Amino acid sequence: MKNIALLLVFTGSFLGYAQPNCFVYPEESGERKACELSYKAIAFQQGSKESQMLFDKAIAIGPKFAWAYYEKSVPYFKRGFLYEGLQILNEAVQLEPIEYLCYRAYWHWQYRNYELCIKDLESYYSLPKAYMQTTPGGEKDMRILLGLAYAKSGNYTKGITILEDCINSYESKDAVGLADYHSLGMLYVLNKEYDKAIVVLNKQLAVLKDMADTYYYLGLAHKGLSNFEEAAIQFNKSLETFENRNRFININAGFAVYPSDVKQELRAN
Amino acid sequence: MKKVRPLLFIISWGLLVGGCSNASKVKQEYRDQIGDTPFDANLDDGNFKLCDATNVLHKRAYVSYTGGIKAMEEELFSNYKYQSAYRTFTGTFIIRFLVNCNNEAGRYRMQILDADLNKITPPENLAAHMLAITKKLNKWNHAVYKEKEYDGYRFITIKMKNGQLVKK
Repeated sequence: MKNIALLLVFTGSFLGYAQPNCFVYPEESGERKACELSYKAIAFQQGSKESQMLFDKAIAIGPKFAWAYYEKSVPYFKRGFLYEGLQILNEAVQLEPIEYLCYRAYWHWQYRNYELCIKDLESYYSLPKAYMQTTPGGEKDMRILLGLAYAKSGNYTKGITILEDCINSYESKDAVGLADYHSLGMLYVLNKEYDKAIVVLNKQLAVLKDMADTYYYLGLAHKGLSNFEEAAIQFNKSLETFENRNRFININAGFAVYPSDVKQELRAN
Repeated sequence: MKKVRPLLFIISWGLLVGGCSNASKVKQEYRDQIGDTPFDANLDDGNFKLCDATNVLHKRAYVSYTGGIKAMEEELFSNYKYQSAYRTFTGTFIIRFLVNCNNEAGRYRMQILDADLNKITPPENLAAHMLAITKKLNKWNHAVYKEKEYDGYRFITIKMKNGQLVKK
């Protein structure tokens, strides 16, 4: 996972949701034609008239071909048309929940509807054949997003349990996502479990040293234990890291930290 | 003249909110790009100009606000004026707009959804107030993409619970 995430982060490539193989559909079937038209559609710029017309043609000819709805919906979500995007994506979710529930959950997260994000992800993980899925950019296991969504709804304990279980489920340490320890450590801080937070945030620093947010939460953990001197050291490291233009930006993470937050802590320290 | 204004205002609102809601109907009208927002004299400020209307960027992440979402939210919160009539409203305002290469914003369009993401009409004046405080945000930075400057589209999401704004 770490390697996949690194590759995606550095190449900026997009891990599409389960690109279909058109040949699995019988020749002359609606699905086969819809599949071929959808591939033609994605050759055009996303959101363009040409692509949208081809998707509509695909959907008209093969209304049971879920991928066309999914691909058609993407630019709507990206451009602020949540309602319209959902009307389209819902069709894909209905046809193939196992493939598209996570994507819908991702957009609920993006639009800050944590209740619906949780609802979709809980439905997904209750499916007997649920498998490991990530955010569209590949940077986070969807279980991490589920835990963060619980935390956003105020249920830190549930969020922590989900993140712990997710991280423990990996067979190798290399499978842990680039910011997973950070997310867990942050939730420990929010739940006032400062000792645990320090252990986990230090694990994060072993993975990545250039995330300003990690030092901030480490500072808060030390502050919570009344280690004010160490807290100040960490807050200053956070500010230094903010100066680094190439610092790691933890996307799809929520709980973003700003230099003004850190400065406020330093003033109060 | 004074009597005409509220009527015009209501008509404008209908256009603003309703104008972007046709995707679910099978209406085969395609713009060059999803989200293209042409000038509408009923809604838009005629003084707002694009630097290059033939090449507007649909990449929201490249349009930023000075101080980030945090600063933007603080401004929205300080300008929001709660009224008791708003108490019944829980939902999301999604407001789309353009930021031109001079960092000016215009062509605002809005959709308003309830907690289950169905379209909803909020209490009187609330939508107009949300639009007004969004228009007050004046620290937008235009898109620079592959070392070129662009006019670009952006949207913001404002969540509200029982008439109170919800922090990100």
